[in-house]
Amino acid sequence: MSGTWITTRAWLLMLPLLVVMTAVIGWPLIDTVRLSFTDAKLVGTEGTFVGLDNYVKVLGGSSFQRALVTTTWFAVVSVTAEMVIGVLAALLLNQQFRGRTALRALMILPWALPTVVNATLWRLIYNPEYGALNAALTQLGLIDSYRSWLGEPGSALTALIVADCWKNFPLVALIALAALQAVPRDITAASLVDGAGPLNRFRYVIMPYLAGPLLVALVLRTIEAFKVFDLIWVMTRGGPANSTRTLSILVYQEAFSFQRAGSGASLALIVTLLVTVLAVAYAGLVRKAAGAS
Amino acid sequence: MSALAIQNIHKRYGEVETLKGIDIDLESGEFLVLLGSSGCGKSTLLNIIAGLAEPTGGDIRIGERSILGAHPKDRDIAMVFQSYALYPNMSVARNIGFGLEMRKVPPAEREKAVKETAKLLQIENLLARKPSQLSGGQRQRVAIGRALVRNPQVFLFDEPLSNLDAKLRMEMRTELKRLHQMLKTTVVYVTHDQIEAMTLATRIAVMRDGRIEQLGTPEEIYDRPATLYVAGFVGSPPMNILDATVSKEQLLILGDDQPIDMPVHFRSVVADGQRVKVGIRPEALRVAKGGETGAQFKARIEVVELTGPELVTTARIGEQRITACLPPRSAVTAGEDRTFVVDVDVLHLFDPQSGRSLATD
Repeated sequence: MSGTWITTRAWLLMLPLLVVMTAVIGWPLIDTVRLSFTDAKLVGTEGTFVGLDNYVKVLGGSSFQRALVTTTWFAVVSVTAEMVIGVLAALLLNQQFRGRTALRALMILPWALPTVVNATLWRLIYNPEYGALNAALTQLGLIDSYRSWLGEPGSALTALIVADCWKNFPLVALIALAALQAVPRDITAASLVDGAGPLNRFRYVIMPYLAGPLLVALVLRTIEAFKVFDLIWVMTRGGPANSTRTLSILVYQEAFSFQRAGSGASLALIVTLLVTVLAVAYAGLVRKAAGAS
Repeated sequence: MSALAIQNIHKRYGEVETLKGIDIDLESGEFLVLLGSSGCGKSTLLNIIAGLAEPTGGDIRIGERSILGAHPKDRDIAMVFQSYALYPNMSVARNIGFGLEMRKVPPAEREKAVKETAKLLQIENLLARKPSQLSGGQRQRVAIGRALVRNPQVFLFDEPLSNLDAKLRMEMRTELKRLHQMLKTTVVYVTHDQIEAMTLATRIAVMRDGRIEQLGTPEEIYDRPATLYVAGFVGSPPMNILDATVSKEQLLILGDDQPIDMPVHFRSVVADGQRVKVGIRPEALRVAKGGETGAQFKARIEVVELTGPELVTTARIGEQRITACLPPRSAVTAGEDRTFVVDVDVLHLFDPQSGRSLATD
């Protein structure tokens, strides 16, 4: 009896939230699915039912395929670099030295900055006329003349990846640092007595403690990198020559710049599906890692 | 030549000096226990021997060479930690063999050594398991195995039994004693448990505030404590310490009007009227039945506690408390006045100011 009463009360308490969630997430999602089967424009026409036409066009189109490759490259390279730099930074900040606390606080700064601020900052650094990067490289004698890092298809994506790494490696470092501090002092001491050098100590003794938390960081960062929009929008708007056009930029352009709501919706759903597949796969990995430890 | 020589070791952390000149010479095969309460510097000293901390001054020698500045792996030592410090991701076999693996011992030789050690510790059936699948006692055996397998010159133990329950602690204590008797290894063992110290050690160094209060065999520490601190620290219940005054080659216990005879060996070192502290082991006290010789004093019994093998009796002489360990069936009840008797020869006398024993050896 009391179980039923508790269940009823629980549902009643959750009801306001459920109503809000349905209104702000459920309904738009359902409407997006409906839109994706129509040829609706953003303004003017309701659109007619076109079946799977939008999906066929999107999946078969070169724009989608190129954006998928760009997004995957962006996600893989930036997340890998963030993981490596983050772990190295954490190992460094876990050592005893003067000014360690100040440096730890300072490290969080890039991550704490709003993405738009970060992106604007890097646009200034990369500026082809007065950017700090050009000045530094010229003065070091590494380049002869100023270059437009964000204006050349060959370097724009790499420049974005660097900006993304700078912003996001502190998150990985923070998670890794917390994990490092959980490594029992006795275990490290035992490995010293056992004769493990720095590399073996990291591989056999420290890494098992880092693996779980790092996997969580990997999941979070990969999904975020796959969805990246704001950084690229502020810095390159997908250009030059679509060389930095990721899936999210493509969805935006399709739905809002070209005002094709129907095919924009189908693209958005495909991206959502891809991210969901990634999330589920990673969740499985995390569960497996948790089980193993 | 000593197996381990600790020479004038000092350790300072900023303003705080945790070790104030420690000197110990250890012969091969000795089992030295560093005994003391928390913060006395015993673990710091062990870490310095292991190479996990560097001393501010002094020298440590293993065999003929100084090991100061040497990496822990190059000191020919092995260490067992209080928390076991097993590698959680490795099997028992790999945990035991990890030190050999890091020293590039060939796999076949390693496996043989691991099996032999496991057999010695009766954990052969656990080799494939992970530490999380082991009980506390089993983990401790693995930790000991990890130290044994390398066959080092000196074994270091940092409170290895303090995480175990009372029964298991006793079993492991016996096991350690058996292993030491069999392998004749040189051991430095840190504990705050005086029973462990008494049962395992060939020599005990009682430490206090970064100094050695007394260094001696368990018998010396128990029978001839050099200071009030050692007298109070070793023995359970601890030694009774009573205020007394010397009066014409006799001792007047404060609160008791009947003087007791002065032990012969103290007569030459005390003066008439001198205040002293008298130490009496609880187990040396008996209830007088009439006709006994020895020091006698009246006390009012306050509490009687039967522990099984003995009756721990707390009594009062004036304002002073005294504890006696009596046979379990002794007819004593709380509230009654009884006369206690003790052999004069087993009395200890200490200087109240310095806390040092007045015995002249």
